[in-house]
Amino acid sequence: MSAVGLRRRATVLAALRSWFAERGFLEVPTPARVPSPAMEEHLHGLPAGDAWLRTSPEFALKRVLAMGLPRIYEIGPCFRAEESGPWHGTEFLMLEWYRVGAPLCALVEDVESLVQACAAALDVSPPTWTHWTVAEAFLTLAKVDLATATVTTLRGHDDDTWDEAFFRCFLDHVEPNLPPATFLRDWPVSQAALATIRTDGHPRAERFEAYLNGVELANAFHELVDATEQRSRFETANRERIGMGFAPHPVDEGLIQAVGQMPPTSGIALGVERLVAALCGWDSIHPGRVSSPAP
Amino acid sequence: MYQTSDIKKGLKIEENGAPYTVVDFLFVKPGKGCAFTRTKLKNLITGSVLDRTYKSGESLVEADVEEHTMQYLYNDGTDFHFMNMEDFSQIGISAETIGNTSDFLVEEMEVQVLFYNNQPVNIDVPNFVELAIEYTEPGIKGNTSQGATKSATLTTGAEVQVPLFLEQGEILKIDTRTRQYVSRVR
Repeated sequence: MSAVGLRRRATVLAALRSWFAERGFLEVPTPARVPSPAMEEHLHGLPAGDAWLRTSPEFALKRVLAMGLPRIYEIGPCFRAEESGPWHGTEFLMLEWYRVGAPLCALVEDVESLVQACAAALDVSPPTWTHWTVAEAFLTLAKVDLATATVTTLRGHDDDTWDEAFFRCFLDHVEPNLPPATFLRDWPVSQAALATIRTDGHPRAERFEAYLNGVELANAFHELVDATEQRSRFETANRERIGMGFAPHPVDEGLIQAVGQMPPTSGIALGVERLVAALCGWDSIHPGRVSSPAP
Repeated sequence: MYQTSDIKKGLKIEENGAPYTVVDFLFVKPGKGCAFTRTKLKNLITGSVLDRTYKSGESLVEADVEEHTMQYLYNDGTDFHFMNMEDFSQIGISAETIGNTSDFLVEEMEVQVLFYNNQPVNIDVPNFVELAIEYTEPGIKGNTSQGATKSATLTTGAEVQVPLFLEQGEILKIDTRTRQYVSRVR
């Protein structure tokens, strides 16, 4: 935590809010205390009394989308247990925004424009983006053909699942060697989370991630709007959690109902402190945060 | 056994049947993937560095390593003998285990000996030693030209490159890590 760091973060927050205001987005704060912290098997929530602290505002914002608001965003604290390090905080500041009726590529343009606006506010030069599919990144940086990849060709360990071997290869060979600013789109179907799946050609999740200076900055989905499929993914994730020795997450009925009523939408979550750190060239998110006293 | 949450700098672990120490580590977690800890490990025997990424929940084997301060006693022609300065026990260590610093050992020198599974696997001699020149070609007075060197054999048998003006019998300070001449000791 430093005075300069906190000023930089305030500059970015102001730039973000004016960027959204200029484009007609409505800021919608939603509750931090929620009935279910997450769906995904690798996200761990913090209990808060008889409820949970949210790992992202996604479920509540989807209920807002189902009410018929077309362009919304929220900037607020989110909480993920068991995550801490130079680029992780148990509590962190998340930005999410949604565009009803927009294709995923509209959010690519949003990220480019919004990062440029924040860079201008900080008086630093904006990045030049590289656009790759995940398969292109693996082929270029790890020399692995994802379409035929196995745990062995991904240089995984014997007890790795395919997804674990995928991430091991990604973390060891792809992520450290990405161009300074990169969009990676079309993720494996097993990592769709709450994204739709494209079945023309090789099936893939309609999802992209933005990386800035080697750090994962944002994750975007063309959002799933099928309530039955949403419930089935919730149940699959819970079975995987139980298999890994974690308690299942409560199924969020409000979310499932909202997903069934939502129009086609693209949505994205972005780590605000990571954006500040990446633009300022810091080696961690922490200069731009108020440190939390030890409990 | 250690868990990935126990990983910190200096932790001694076993990997591929060799002892390693953690020199650096980073918690990494893709937003949609499982957590990993990326580590940089240094082999305690060879000094080589290994990048190893551990999956969250994976167990790590604790390396049975101990370091003892020992005094060099003598060389019996095969092994170099040392005495433990705490319990005065003695052991012989082969020249192969000691590696390329064996020709800097002088009697009564204190070294750090690393034991892995109760076997000596590596010794650390002091970074700097002072040794006399046993033999070198006669010195050329006044020749201080930069970079020009000649070979000198030290009393322990070590051969090092020294400046041209040095004479037999003079005492030198040597950096044992680089085997380089540092200065003349007056």
